[in-house]
Amino acid sequence: MSPSSFDSELAAVWPRLRRFAYALARDAADADDLAQMAAEKAFKSFAQFQAGTRFDSWIFRICRTVWIDTVRSRSRRGAHESPPEAADGMGHDPTSATEAAIDLGKAMAAMQRLPEEQREVVALILIDGFGYREVADILDQPIGTVSSRLARGRNALLAMLGEGG
Amino acid sequence: MTDEELFYAWLDGELQGEEAAQVVARVEADPALKAKADRHRTLAAGLRGAFDPVMNEAGPPPSFGSAEIINFETKRAVRRGAFGVPQWAAMAATLAIGIVAGQFVGDRPAAPVESHDGILVAAAGLDQALDAQLASADTGGPIHVGLTFRNHDGSICRSFSGGAGSGLACREGDEWNIEGLFGSTTQGNYRMAAGEDPRLSALIDERIAGEAFDAEAEKAALDRGWR
Repeated sequence: MSPSSFDSELAAVWPRLRRFAYALARDAADADDLAQMAAEKAFKSFAQFQAGTRFDSWIFRICRTVWIDTVRSRSRRGAHESPPEAADGMGHDPTSATEAAIDLGKAMAAMQRLPEEQREVVALILIDGFGYREVADILDQPIGTVSSRLARGRNALLAMLGEGG
Repeated sequence: MTDEELFYAWLDGELQGEEAAQVVARVEADPALKAKADRHRTLAAGLRGAFDPVMNEAGPPPSFGSAEIINFETKRAVRRGAFGVPQWAAMAATLAIGIVAGQFVGDRPAAPVESHDGILVAAAGLDQALDAQLASADTGGPIHVGLTFRNHDGSICRSFSGGAGSGLACREGDEWNIEGLFGSTTQGNYRMAAGEDPRLSALIDERIAGEAFDAEAEKAALDRGWR
């Protein structure tokens, strides 16, 4: 494919890619960096993209790799220097969130409290709407692993964001 | 899958036929399970809703396409062809650059990029910066020099950036030929991950042979007049 078709493929998936980055990353700055770096890396490796396969799965896999390689380690370093503000406001409101709208800060904070392997599955399936099979391919994991991580992740989220029972 | 995983798979639309029917029967027969289904549907909807602004405010994606990258290789090849100097090519290139990096190119005496016989070369402050400025000793002037490296032809190339954008220039004779110019990508609200325009990164990746110069090699190259 030519560069212009890379641009059009990227344009179609960009809002979702950005959302995926926000679901994984600690804060907006890291998330924007992550989405940008994933797009850049995909552009450079576009020759390896196989026509006829799903571009969204391909670029989400790249995004996840970049997250593991760079942004995640940066977040860890940051976490040692200063505790994330994300934890603020968590757990103060046992009543609501399944009824009321969840705000972005609260959602990101809750995602941060999930173990990483649950967070990525929740981001891909619950937030983005990928099927289990596609996610198993993206993560290179058996489908049973995907479904058990998803079950644990959504139970934990319900405990954090839901009415607690 | 455990019963709970099957229940979630059903909730996510992953089950079909008999498997789905079995979960439906379980849910219908168990008010607690039905309530759990409702809670998780609400949770998923709330979570997606929370991230909606990220989608809606995504802005334009970073652009890597060729539209704003002037292909100087092609232009030179045309110019060396049998039909003499195609002025249209020079004009088109100048116009394109005018659009992408209006502040770089101009007729002003101090315009940092000039057209010499249809080839765009660094002039004025940009020429001086590329000639004399070491990235290892950046004095904070209007032009910032980034990487210095040799391309596949063995010429020395240097990336640069300024208020209007960034670009790449390679040494040919006594001049710095402009290999690419990219206007500032300030539209959209994302930040550059590495502080460098991705189109410039891609151009450098394409041109670089070996590693970029370290401070010592950069200084030695300056002392040799960038040969």
